[in-house]
Amino acid sequence: MKKEDNVLTEQGQQCLQNLLRIWFDFERRLGKVPIIRRLEQGNFSIEDYQKLIRNLRQQVIEGSRWISRCASSFDRDYADVRSVVIGHARDEHRDYEMLEQDYVAAGGDLADIQKADRNPGSEALHAFLMYRASLPNPIDLIGAMWIIEGLGQKMASDWAKQVDKITDGDGRYTQFMRYHGENDDEHLEKLYQLIDRVCKNEIQLKSITRTATVVARLYAMQLDEIDNEQET
Amino acid sequence: MDVYITSTGHFLPGDPVENDQIEEVLGYVGGKPSRLKRRILEANGIQTRHYAIDKHHRTTISNSEMASRAGQDCLDQSFLAKQQISMLSCATSQGDVVLPGFGSMVQADLDLEDIELQTSHGICSSSMMALKAAFTNLKTGEHDNALVIASELTSRLFKASRYEAAGVDKRLDFNAEFLRFMLSDGAGATLLETRPRGTCFRIDWIRGFSHADSFPVCMSVGLTQDKKENRTWQDYQTYAEAEAEGALLIRQDVRLLENIVKLGVDGFLRLVDQGLVTADQIDHLLCHYSSHYFRGKIFDMLVKSGTAVPDEKWYSNLAARGNTGCASIMIMLDEFRRTQSYKTGDVVFCMVPESGRFNTVYMKLTVAEE
Repeated sequence: MKKEDNVLTEQGQQCLQNLLRIWFDFERRLGKVPIIRRLEQGNFSIEDYQKLIRNLRQQVIEGSRWISRCASSFDRDYADVRSVVIGHARDEHRDYEMLEQDYVAAGGDLADIQKADRNPGSEALHAFLMYRASLPNPIDLIGAMWIIEGLGQKMASDWAKQVDKITDGDGRYTQFMRYHGENDDEHLEKLYQLIDRVCKNEIQLKSITRTATVVARLYAMQLDEIDNEQET
Repeated sequence: MDVYITSTGHFLPGDPVENDQIEEVLGYVGGKPSRLKRRILEANGIQTRHYAIDKHHRTTISNSEMASRAGQDCLDQSFLAKQQISMLSCATSQGDVVLPGFGSMVQADLDLEDIELQTSHGICSSSMMALKAAFTNLKTGEHDNALVIASELTSRLFKASRYEAAGVDKRLDFNAEFLRFMLSDGAGATLLETRPRGTCFRIDWIRGFSHADSFPVCMSVGLTQDKKENRTWQDYQTYAEAEAEGALLIRQDVRLLENIVKLGVDGFLRLVDQGLVTADQIDHLLCHYSSHYFRGKIFDMLVKSGTAVPDEKWYSNLAARGNTGCASIMIMLDEFRRTQSYKTGDVVFCMVPESGRFNTVYMKLTVAEE
């Protein structure tokens, strides 16, 4: 192990340890969400897949909103962080269009996904993220990025293949999930730098950890609510 | 009350079997060499292993007899006579008979009188469960000593005829073949006492984290390929029917294996958080998986977070002795004790991640002096 591999400060390392554990806990929670359990076990239909991305779309759209809000809440002391967040918002603010194309490619009707509402979990997640993003210098949202970015990687490395395998897909309708595997290492490197930049004391460590925990729970709730969706 | 590992022993059947001899012993499924063998062996890094069956598929020594030999080897190096042993705690994935418990068979083979008996059932981590049961018995003052033995004879599951009977010889899938080139036979033993003897290991703690509630089955015998848990090998009209359906094959769901690494790291971070260990305390790391298996993104994060144990501190004999399931950690600890150098106060950290349905068990030892 080279010394320079240890880029994180001691506080940053503690933060990463916490975030890793919150992530593993989130993954185990996901394993208990009925629609994800079906995906893992292989009794997951193309209708389930449509339902999954129909519910994800709202969060993806709202995602770009809270990230933009978050960027605007950083003052001059955090101008460097704001730049990173703006870049992030720009990269992702039209991702939902890819999701719509996947929905149609999977046999769904464009009008259905476009008119779909936020499920109760998405409402709660969105409300929490907008609230945090509206506070001055919301550095704790790095905890939210950790969970959402991590899930993007999981979709790319795991879910996309599994969806195609059990629904006999050829990758045409899992573009959105696959796309999140790109520039993986680069994103992680940026995240490490951000952790070091914004986690410098116990209070910041606590708020990052707490936000990551809440976002993980609410995200799981959003997925949990998918099976409660009313037929439209 | 402190508990010490004061002796260890092992038994490996027959001569070491090289990679290119595996199928000469286990047989060629459908008469043809495996196409996946090279890939699987490259991934697990195993060079030699031992089998308790010969090339005619005759069992050369039973599982309980192997256990008994390892136990005897352990006692031969100890300060105790056989009749002084007061507890026997055994582990295996599959005994020679379905019933009674493995421990009873081992006790009879070893001819141990009047002992308290414990049998742990499971896969790789069952030996750690057996060890913990013995450890806590000694801790509470129930016994002064306990002999712990773990033994595996999985090669019987890997005979070519098993796959042929399941009709999979023409479409042998990776999940069914994976463990054929991974697992082999052997037994290991440790003796626990409430007093130190010479240079020995004090058990500081043993802790397990099981996650069966969150994950599907990853390694199994008794389920068919689709893993529908409502139909197991005992739910068929005849055992022949179960075998024909492939419900008696040993399988690994390779897709789920990555979770082993995540949960291994997760458990370790919990222990760090609970103040039970830190990465820089560890002088020797004995892990049931080789360090290269842990390479990857998660491991990089462990390095970044300052909780990785450097390569030079890992010790393993899996490449030479094979992966013997629950016996591995015992066989590893035995060889470590006899062949490696360590000094009083050194921390020896053992880790057994089990993929069955995801149970990871850790043990912290400190080298002690009488």
